[in-house]
Amino acid sequence: MAEMVTLTIDGKEVSVRKGTTILEAAKQVGEEVPHYCYHPGLSSPAMCRMCLVEVEGAPKPMPGCVTTVAEGQVVNTQSGEARHHRQGVLEFYLVNHPLDCPICDMSGECYLQDYVHAEGRKHGRGREPKRVFGRDDFGGDVLFYGDRCVMCTRCVRFMSEVEQDHRLTVVERGNRSVIDTFFDEGLDGTHFHGNVVDICPVGALVSKDFLHKARAWDLTHTPSICTSCSQGCNIDHHTRDNLVQRLKPRENLDVNGWWICDYGRHNYEWMNHGDRLEAPLVRGGEPSGAMGWGDALRTLLERAADKKGSVKAVASPFASNESLGALKRLVDALGGGDIVYRSPRAEDEVTLEGFPTLVRRKDLSPNTGGAGRLGMKRVGDDEGHGGLENVANHDGVLIVLGDGLLDQAEAFGADAGLFVYLGTHGSAAAAEADIVLPITSHAEMEGTFTNYEGRVQRFWPSLDAPGMARPAWLVLGALAAELGRGSVVKTAAEAFAALAAEAPAFSGMTYDDIGTRGAVVNESVSLTGD
Amino acid sequence: MAYPYVSDHEIRIVSKYFGDPKQRRVETYVERGGYKALEKAFEMGPQGVIDEVKGSGLRGRGGAGFPTGVKWSFMPKDSGKPHYLLCNADESEPGTFKDRELMRWDPHQLIEGCLIGAYAIGAGHVYIYCRGEFFEVNQILARAVEDAYAKGYIGKDIFGSGNDLEVTVHQGAGAYICGEETGLMNSLEGKRGQPRVKPPFPAAVGAFGMPSTINNVETLAAVPHIVENGGDWYRGFGTEKSPGTKMFCVSGHVNKPGNYELPLGFPLMKLIEDVCGGMRDGRALKAVIPGGSSVPIIDAEESARCNLDYEGCIEVGTMLGCASVIVMDETADIVKQVRRMVDFYAHESCGQCTPCREGSSWTAQILKRIEEGRGTEEDLDTLMEMTQQMVGTTICVLSDSVAAPVQSSIEKFRDEYLALIRRGERVGAA
Amino acid sequence: MSDAPFRNPGWAGNTGEFDLTEEQVRGDDFVGERPKDGGHPSGAGALPYMLAEKEPEAELFEGEYQERFEKILTRYPTKQASLLPTLGLAQELRGYLSPETMDRCAELLDLSPAYVRGVATFYTMYNKRPVGRHLVQVCTNISCNLAGADEVVDAFLRYTDTELGETSEDGNFTVIEAECLAACGFPTCVQINSRYYENVTPAEVPKLCEHLKAEGE
Ligand SMILES: Cc1cc2nc3c(=O)[nH]c(=O)nc-3n(C[C@H](O)[C@H](O)[C@H](O)COP(=O)(O)O)c2cc1C
Ligand code: SF4
Ligand code: SF4
Ligand code: SF4
Repeated sequence: MAEMVTLTIDGKEVSVRKGTTILEAAKQVGEEVPHYCYHPGLSSPAMCRMCLVEVEGAPKPMPGCVTTVAEGQVVNTQSGEARHHRQGVLEFYLVNHPLDCPICDMSGECYLQDYVHAEGRKHGRGREPKRVFGRDDFGGDVLFYGDRCVMCTRCVRFMSEVEQDHRLTVVERGNRSVIDTFFDEGLDGTHFHGNVVDICPVGALVSKDFLHKARAWDLTHTPSICTSCSQGCNIDHHTRDNLVQRLKPRENLDVNGWWICDYGRHNYEWMNHGDRLEAPLVRGGEPSGAMGWGDALRTLLERAADKKGSVKAVASPFASNESLGALKRLVDALGGGDIVYRSPRAEDEVTLEGFPTLVRRKDLSPNTGGAGRLGMKRVGDDEGHGGLENVANHDGVLIVLGDGLLDQAEAFGADAGLFVYLGTHGSAAAAEADIVLPITSHAEMEGTFTNYEGRVQRFWPSLDAPGMARPAWLVLGALAAELGRGSVVKTAAEAFAALAAEAPAFSGMTYDDIGTRGAVVNESVSLTGD
Repeated sequence: MAYPYVSDHEIRIVSKYFGDPKQRRVETYVERGGYKALEKAFEMGPQGVIDEVKGSGLRGRGGAGFPTGVKWSFMPKDSGKPHYLLCNADESEPGTFKDRELMRWDPHQLIEGCLIGAYAIGAGHVYIYCRGEFFEVNQILARAVEDAYAKGYIGKDIFGSGNDLEVTVHQGAGAYICGEETGLMNSLEGKRGQPRVKPPFPAAVGAFGMPSTINNVETLAAVPHIVENGGDWYRGFGTEKSPGTKMFCVSGHVNKPGNYELPLGFPLMKLIEDVCGGMRDGRALKAVIPGGSSVPIIDAEESARCNLDYEGCIEVGTMLGCASVIVMDETADIVKQVRRMVDFYAHESCGQCTPCREGSSWTAQILKRIEEGRGTEEDLDTLMEMTQQMVGTTICVLSDSVAAPVQSSIEKFRDEYLALIRRGERVGAA
Repeated sequence: MSDAPFRNPGWAGNTGEFDLTEEQVRGDDFVGERPKDGGHPSGAGALPYMLAEKEPEAELFEGEYQERFEKILTRYPTKQASLLPTLGLAQELRGYLSPETMDRCAELLDLSPAYVRGVATFYTMYNKRPVGRHLVQVCTNISCNLAGADEVVDAFLRYTDTELGETSEDGNFTVIEAECLAACGFPTCVQINSRYYENVTPAEVPKLCEHLKAEGE
């Protein structure tokens, strides 16, 4: 048990661990001490001077970000004196600030705007001409609006301490200080630089990709998991008009800290692709054509009835644990058979040196961890292609879940007694399927993925599902239940409970336990298939 | 041949050989008794040296006036880590020009002081951080250190005592803020010379992360004399609370500007009239900045009451700082000079702290506008209030230094500001 | 008063009452520069790095300069700490720190180029652009200002027919204002390359400049 210290912050008594800073302790009593340069993931230079608080008995106001708590200390973060200091500092910030909020991407989520609005002077006293730095292209995805910079050096510290590639620096000194790279070197070739845009408290560093795309107040934030590799970084989807506009990291110290890689950050357009499968479709025999779910599933079960006993399935490591579990139940119900999956693999991993827990993994799918733990076998090459020779010519029941079969010939599944395809998009190979069922992408459903280390993490729907598309676990679970395996699952939580009841790796876990931070699977269960 | 101006009032201890180039030779220095104090210090032991210096009452000559012996006693005794002594030779405070003279006339005196200090605090290496612009001084020092190495006063097993000490001359590159102790450490480490947040203090985490002590040139130059003659001897000069002699750097409108070594507590008017030959062209005194540009300006009446020691200056609302006495006669344009000093701080602010980075240049802009006759009376209120926001709110005290001349001049010479504001023209300017 | 301020030996010799020669002030030992290889390592980093003769293409480093660089490295517990003296050495040779020069220094010390740029731009003595053969820095801070430093600046600008910071057409002079040079008792103080000229008055400026020009020919 760590040594505890009791102090009073804004009249509220609180006990925190020895060594905690006043700023962090204040969070625990619900007081946000305004700050710019402090970031929990970086060193604390105590230079913005916004977090000055009044510590009774101290001769000067103290910076809350580096002053550690002491027994019996009395701290005021909201007293007249503390507010007076902040008002003064805010006025200094505005002396040279362009206040171009109407055209600034940060507007609406800007800490300068927020703090000035909350505590700034009603009328500025600055009458002097403002300093002008202009704009600079920092390479990569980053644009720099020098005049908006509050010189907090978070970006510099991120690059030197966390990415550990000292590409950014403060050039010059005093009031002429400006952030820059080494002349034209820029940030190109670094793998995590997008984070500097996130941690910039103002609109000085902005994303080219997001430039003038949406206003902050029009965006809906939904917690999700990055699908670009098996690290499973926690992110938020920022959506507007039922489109993902950008991805932002969501703090989780066990997985990604406050950061994500650039590759994952920019890999979201696919979630917005139109041209979706929107209604169940049945081919050959009667009935056929587009139809409602009830008719489609009934037809499927009828056609499957005499094909039992010889099942093969292709799953996707982009499918959720719940969906994979439901697939497994259905395959079992149909008599059992192999389930394989394919996943692209990168040549190298990329480690975030200053936060080495975060690695852009070689494995470029979010849920190989789930697929493997459910006994599914990995096939194919590092492109995520090939490996389906045994499946392509199968003559029994063939189920494809989420794998778009883009590399497969049109003849794929031609020999199958029944070829069921569940996907978001059609493809040439899928065109041969007897039954095509539209499912949701992870962005349109609730569910979980299992990351590289067996951490099960939840995600939530950020987009509306197109047409009649449904989560695969709902469709497959209903079919399995109909065949006598398990009961009907109506929610993602129930789907997960069904999985936990059957798969030893997930036994004992619940959605509540997993929460927003994830939980690690029962590791005594060995991984197979990878 | 003599140093430009000397005065009978002087007690020349550290400045004894000013004007005598021979003193730079190690042979001459030794002939005249040099490096004896070092030998004696080795006999006294580190604690003995610290006690003697404590007893002398020597206070830091770099500006803050902190007792040197006490500072040395903060160094850990058995840290098991390398310790460093840093000699602050970055002299850049406007009005101050004593360290340069101390180093170029008597480099070995400083080196001996450094060696004694290093020995006392358990440091194996001394870095003399010498201001970059002092090319000549840097070469003189480099030569003197080289000679001292050759003679065995620096290096391994000095005097067969088993003590090893190294000295390196480190040349700066143009930044006033590197005179601030932690800015100096960062600069020494090859970084931007930005002051560090304290705590941790240098005695715990200093240069290269190791326990370090930093002392001004003049402070260290006095040390050999104290060791040689004893702390009580040193206490015989100056006042009870501010013992010893001090270099007074007098500049501005006096007949004989220059460096004078005087006992602390010397009356300001006596310095101007008797030592410096009075006011230039017999004009009237208007204002004095007694401690370098970072301290409040005092007017003629306050000057008349001011005794030049740490306490005496506080009594008249200013500070002794590094005893850089800038004298202004009735022709001086206060607003212009204050603006020029604030320009300096704006130029030299390291730029970390928001109040200092933005406030210093904003202050300079407003002052410039007033100087050009485009000011308003509200500007004065803004200046007073805004500079107050720069006091005590930053990492180092450079920011406070902006407030000192601005606030004190508005208080004491408000008329000059108002005249500019009202008439849109400058008073005082010829 | 001596006839030319350039004989003023870089100290308060010429106040009107005193008229000393360079030799008298410096002492015979200290006339002349330290050896190019830096001499004893303890002082290898402390040499003038503002010289009239510049060689923008000079190798970093070779010969005596390489020796000096290596001596500097031995004086600090970290490689990074050698950055300031190394930049000084580079400027001594090349006259200013071009991007390429900073990049090379970064390489020599295993630092990132951006880091080196950040450090180099923090300090005013590193020239980030080429300057004239003589970099004239006139102190205009308070003590010199009280003695009329502004007029000294004007005199230099008039003589060289330049604006502040501009290099004269003949490439001889770049005139800038400087902050306090710590020679407040001997105003106006002017630093020209690595040397101080004190008690400079506007009237002496043309003669001083003529002398400097002649030095190079
Ligand atoms: C902005 C600033 C500039 C300073 N410049 C110098 C300087 O040039 N020389 C110096 O000796 N001390 C300077 N000081 C004071 C040092 O921080 C430090 O107090 C001093 O070197 C300690 O030595 P001492 O105890 O011997 O006085 C400066 C302080 C500040 C805040
Ligand atoms: S950075 Fe903030 S305050 Fe500045 S223009 Fe952008 S939104 Fe407005
Ligand atoms: S660009 Fe943004 S993150 Fe970087 S120093 Fe400026 S305000 Fe801070
Ligand atoms: S007060 Fe000014 S000079 Fe000192 S650390 Fe802060 S910004 Fe730098």
